[in-house]
Amino acid sequence: MTRMYHRLPVDAYTSQDWFDREQQLIFSRTWRYAGLAEDVPEPGHFISVQAGLNNIFIVMGRDHRLRAFHNICRHRGTQLIRAVGKTQKALTCPYHDWTYDLEGNLISIPDEAKEYPNGVDKSCLGLKPASVDIWRGMLFVHPDPNPPSLVEWFGAVDPLLGPHKPEELVEYPDARQSYEIKANWKIVVENYIDVYHLSHLHSNTLHMYDHARAEYGWKGPHYHFWEPPASDYAKDLEKNLPTPRAIPEPHIGAWVPMLFPGIGLGAGEDSWNIFIITPLGPDLTRVENRTKLANASGWEFQKQEWSSWSFWKDFGGPKYPDSDAIGEDDPMASGDFTAEDIYACEQQQKSLTSPFFEVGPAANGESPVVRHQQAILDFLETQEAGT
Amino acid sequence: MNPNFYSLKVAEIRPEIKGKATSVTFDLPENLSETFRWQAGQHVTLRFHLNGKEQRRSYTISNPPGAPLRITVKRVAKGLVSNHIGDYLKPGDTVDVMPPFGQFSLTPDPVNRRTHYFFGAGSGITPLFAMINAVLKEEPHSVAHLIYGNADSESIIFSKELDKLKTDHANQFTLRHVLSALSLWSWVSPWRKGRVDAEAIKAAVTETPPVAQDVQYWICGPGAMNAGVKQALMALDVPANRIHMESFGGTAVTASSVTGNAANAQVELGGATHEVPVAADQTLLNAILSAGLTPPFSCQSGVCGACKARLTKGQVHMHARMALEDSDVTRGDILTCQSIATSDKLSISFDN
Repeated sequence: MTRMYHRLPVDAYTSQDWFDREQQLIFSRTWRYAGLAEDVPEPGHFISVQAGLNNIFIVMGRDHRLRAFHNICRHRGTQLIRAVGKTQKALTCPYHDWTYDLEGNLISIPDEAKEYPNGVDKSCLGLKPASVDIWRGMLFVHPDPNPPSLVEWFGAVDPLLGPHKPEELVEYPDARQSYEIKANWKIVVENYIDVYHLSHLHSNTLHMYDHARAEYGWKGPHYHFWEPPASDYAKDLEKNLPTPRAIPEPHIGAWVPMLFPGIGLGAGEDSWNIFIITPLGPDLTRVENRTKLANASGWEFQKQEWSSWSFWKDFGGPKYPDSDAIGEDDPMASGDFTAEDIYACEQQQKSLTSPFFEVGPAANGESPVVRHQQAILDFLETQEAGT
Repeated sequence: MNPNFYSLKVAEIRPEIKGKATSVTFDLPENLSETFRWQAGQHVTLRFHLNGKEQRRSYTISNPPGAPLRITVKRVAKGLVSNHIGDYLKPGDTVDVMPPFGQFSLTPDPVNRRTHYFFGAGSGITPLFAMINAVLKEEPHSVAHLIYGNADSESIIFSKELDKLKTDHANQFTLRHVLSALSLWSWVSPWRKGRVDAEAIKAAVTETPPVAQDVQYWICGPGAMNAGVKQALMALDVPANRIHMESFGGTAVTASSVTGNAANAQVELGGATHEVPVAADQTLLNAILSAGLTPPFSCQSGVCGACKARLTKGQVHMHARMALEDSDVTRGDILTCQSIATSDKLSISFDN
């Protein structure tokens, strides 16, 4: 009998088959996060991104419009461009110097007459187009040149994501990081949307917000979540914010949605963060974090730091007291909610291959976990019906 | 298209820019609302009998779909019809109006998320104004940028209405005026001085680059401006299929050195086939009218597209083809009012 983990078989979290299926039917068929809009700032700049099975690059033309193409030379398939760069008017494959213009047209083949004495129709050998769009200051790519519109995809959940205008905020480069978690990507997603764990795993790290008053739900496959500041924090909120406001008053609270598939946002009164989850293997997942803050002067930041100091100086700390910690780097003694999450995900993944693993009943606060599993099943079903 | 005229009653006459243009609003009876349904950017043809002769003119509908049927007519120096409208037309009069048509149209869709750039000059604002309103009303996720050229601040049609749109839709609409004859005493300070040229276009796009990446460019001004804007956009690698344009009267149709020859044309019209002789250098439309047939036509200057037909045999030369996209021409569409025969035998069809 198939062992189940709520709606999904346990296999879905451990097997290569499930991983391959998800890569093909989920991550190669949806709008994928590709970066922030400012990553491609000027005509000629480009970046590439792995989106499921597709490597897609984005380049800005002289009309400031972005174009997206599959990063595959039409000759022998070599990846045309590296991760990031700048070109003037053309993209050349390093292998045989086939050259494309920024519209994807093949414009030159070296030694064309000698190498192709019977001729070659360059007009049929343009780069394969993909799609790109900008939404909430983020770049998204889709492998299909005529994809479902972003409005249809994110439109219903959009009004529930907070009043932030990421395009007007400024990236805080020190917060940019990327790390691997030894767990299936769904474990990472489902930890992110587990409301129950907030007051427990993070009992001493995220209690400036009032988890008991969280409001959350679903719009299609996308999860939305908001919670107000806890009373201690809210009492003197303007003084207690660690950095200047990123959204105008009177907006308060934390918006922490998880868009499908694996696109987490986390935004509060003073910051906007992304949490991009990319599956690397059945039990290996990459997380990429970036943070944006108010576009305010250093002096404004300094003042806010001073005014909030008294709130934060005694705030938080390790979940386990020193006596219970295994060592200096015990995540449970770190006082860092990210370290706590990584630890919980990896400890969970370890048990999934045990013959004695049997999932317990889902709590109310875990209803999003079960709903996410259903979203996976529904999406796979639609995709399989379509192929 | 429906080539019939309907008698419509004038509901309101409003002078614009101190009487140099006139907005005419028509009463649309309930039973004609379907017939007169339009897309933003389309125009209607009006028919007058002045000085004992029939006169037809096309005017763009300057309101978005759903609003009252309104045209805005700028006076042309010595223009027979535009001055008649400005001087004599009054509420209660009836005018013969042909239902809306035209390929220069923007169909809004709430699931579209687009960046629209509008480049206009003078009374070229009329279709753009309808389109901008349609976008702001029907495409909540799209944005519209208008770059609008005029001689001076006194001649800006819909100046107040545009300012209001800017205030009401601050997150969705930007407005930039380009004035060519800027007076020192002017109270308005435009975005730029000069014309809507390559420099202005480049500056505009750099200043407000597209966020939504489905980008569309809409151009309406005198012929010379249109060609210049299109050229400037193409120099920035804008694909031709994203550029939409229409020119309005003013500049004469470019004289052509191409000469036509006499020919026999087989004309399919209204389900019947007619043999029509075409004289050398005579337009197909004139030849067909001379033969006593009643083909659809309107502006007779290649702008409106009413006289469009499909050429299935032979060759013609078109003096102008503003109303046709390149793809239409590839399919064999011709404007009969602009076509002269360049082969002995022709077959054309007005029936789809």
